[in-house]
Amino acid sequence: MIDVHKLTKTFQSVTALGGINFVARDGEVTGLIGPNGAGKTTALRIIYTVMQPNGGTVHVDGFNTVDDRLNVQQRIGVLPDGRGLYPRLTAREHIRYYGRLHGLKGTALENRIEQLNADLSMADFIDRRAKGFSKGQTRKITLARALVHEPQNLLLDEPTNGLDISSSRAVHRLIRDVRDQGRCVLFCSHIMSEVASICDRIVVISGGLIAADGTVQELMSQTGSDNLDDVFLRLTGGLTGGATASTGEEGRV
Amino acid sequence: MNMWAPVSIIFFKEVLDNARDRRSLLIALIYPLLGPILLGLMLSAVGKVTVGGADQDLTIHVKGIEHGNLLVDWLTNKGVKVVEAPEDPKAAVRNGDLDVVVVVAPEFNDLAKAEKTAPVTVIINSSRLNGLVLVNQVVTLLGTFNTEVWGERIARRGVDFRSLQPIAIDSLNVTSGAHIADILLFMVPPLFVFNLFMGGAYLSIDTTSGERERGSLEPLLINPIERSALVAGKFLAALFYTGIAIVVQLLAFKIAFYLSSGSSGFSQSLSLFNMAAILIITMPLMIAAVSVQFIIATVTRSFKEAQTYLGLLPLVPALPGMILVFAPVKISIWMTLIPAYSQTLLFGQLLRGEALSPLHIALSMTSTLALAAALFLITIRLYEREELIFGS
Repeated sequence: MIDVHKLTKTFQSVTALGGINFVARDGEVTGLIGPNGAGKTTALRIIYTVMQPNGGTVHVDGFNTVDDRLNVQQRIGVLPDGRGLYPRLTAREHIRYYGRLHGLKGTALENRIEQLNADLSMADFIDRRAKGFSKGQTRKITLARALVHEPQNLLLDEPTNGLDISSSRAVHRLIRDVRDQGRCVLFCSHIMSEVASICDRIVVISGGLIAADGTVQELMSQTGSDNLDDVFLRLTGGLTGGATASTGEEGRV
Repeated sequence: MNMWAPVSIIFFKEVLDNARDRRSLLIALIYPLLGPILLGLMLSAVGKVTVGGADQDLTIHVKGIEHGNLLVDWLTNKGVKVVEAPEDPKAAVRNGDLDVVVVVAPEFNDLAKAEKTAPVTVIINSSRLNGLVLVNQVVTLLGTFNTEVWGERIARRGVDFRSLQPIAIDSLNVTSGAHIADILLFMVPPLFVFNLFMGGAYLSIDTTSGERERGSLEPLLINPIERSALVAGKFLAALFYTGIAIVVQLLAFKIAFYLSSGSSGFSQSLSLFNMAAILIITMPLMIAAVSVQFIIATVTRSFKEAQTYLGLLPLVPALPGMILVFAPVKISIWMTLIPAYSQTLLFGQLLRGEALSPLHIALSMTSTLALAAALFLITIRLYEREELIFGS
């Protein structure tokens, strides 16, 4: 479970997060959505410990991300914004490296890698070096290394970005499987339809603040719209402000 | 997991990753050979010019042996092998077949008997350096002959010629190899220091700014390991590659010295014991070098920027050593406190067969280790900053 409380973060004069609160529960997929630059990635980065908040707290399974960093890190599996690979290592070596850093070793680790290999259909490239891998192959490795230690909490920053339909569906299936095992999934995207199809709960973030928090149905009734894109635009001020949500290059804050 | 488990996991990953990288291997295995090859070639060239068989039996080619009995007998008595010169001595020297030929005039014997000045011509080719030492030896010998014969003649007239000679010149060369080429030994320490600051450079960049540019640093930092362990693992890998570069270079120096000057002098001064001593004495400098590389690679914004700075970095510590080649100094206490400079001096002493002072070694190692420790702590601090991942 991830509990975000009054979280603030500023970069020089820019306020990226203005005191946000939300909870991502076990056995649920929580979608964190918002337009580009809304603060999604910043919030995730603070939750997965690579950034320090200016105020507020984040607790993962009761552990504070700042004071109990290592305990938090043991309980999270992350597909972060930065998702580079080592071009000279094979897919298997990537997963093994992360498994070892989580304290796994020997047969247990090798069996786990084989299981991920089967789950993510990596057999035809798992022993190839990562240089020249396609986006889909790269994403599978980054997901596999996030899952190798079977984390209780899975944090995914736009996991299907740039993937084709079949790869996206495979990722969606994987997310549901993790949820069905009673674990917590925090999923970050700016594609409303995708979020609506797999999330149990949606947190809408806009301009560094929480604009809405609820199920898809709740958000629809709250905005009085049955069109998902309209719901998104109304909640994030896109419709009232006359601007349309950008779908171009992602500006990260 | 204990503290060392993640360190070793990261160490082995980086060593394996870079062992598959041509650029890392090039810098660790091939670059270190350049200095020894260059020095070996210079050594064998300079050796030929300046040594020119000084330690061997001297052979002098003489044109007109039959005319110069007095001179030839005198030379033979001095242990010189006198050989008849070819028909055209000038052509032989011009073509480089011979370095020097002494031509005795046909009237030499008659004039010598009459105790008159007899003409002798020394044919040399001043555009060729190779015969420099031999020419010098021949001219010195002829000068000695002149003085001795002149002395005998004047003695027969009742004068002690020594009273006419204000000074007697004798020189003694005390370097271990007794070669002029020994000066090249001074080039070994700066080349060594250069290599020490170069050996792990590529790995340092690859594992810091390279990792950031690839986007693999952010996911790596989410793993449950202390930042200090992360830095230590990467650091030890760079240190390991530095060590490989240094061992490769020392062995290459040894081989180059052996090939160019035989088992005497140079290659002896690089004994296995001395090489081990150098490795131990310079270990703190290796730690400092890798720390500097990490700091530069971490604070620079890109891989390329880091590469530019780290390419220039080795020149700074190697420069004092290069100056020492031309202006040697005697080691003193304050010098042993300066990292890189002290190691250059100590290595130089070891190569020249001088006894090393334990105090100098201790001061050099402690002062450099203190610097290395401070730099290492700065590196860990840098790794704890958010800017590490996202750039400044």
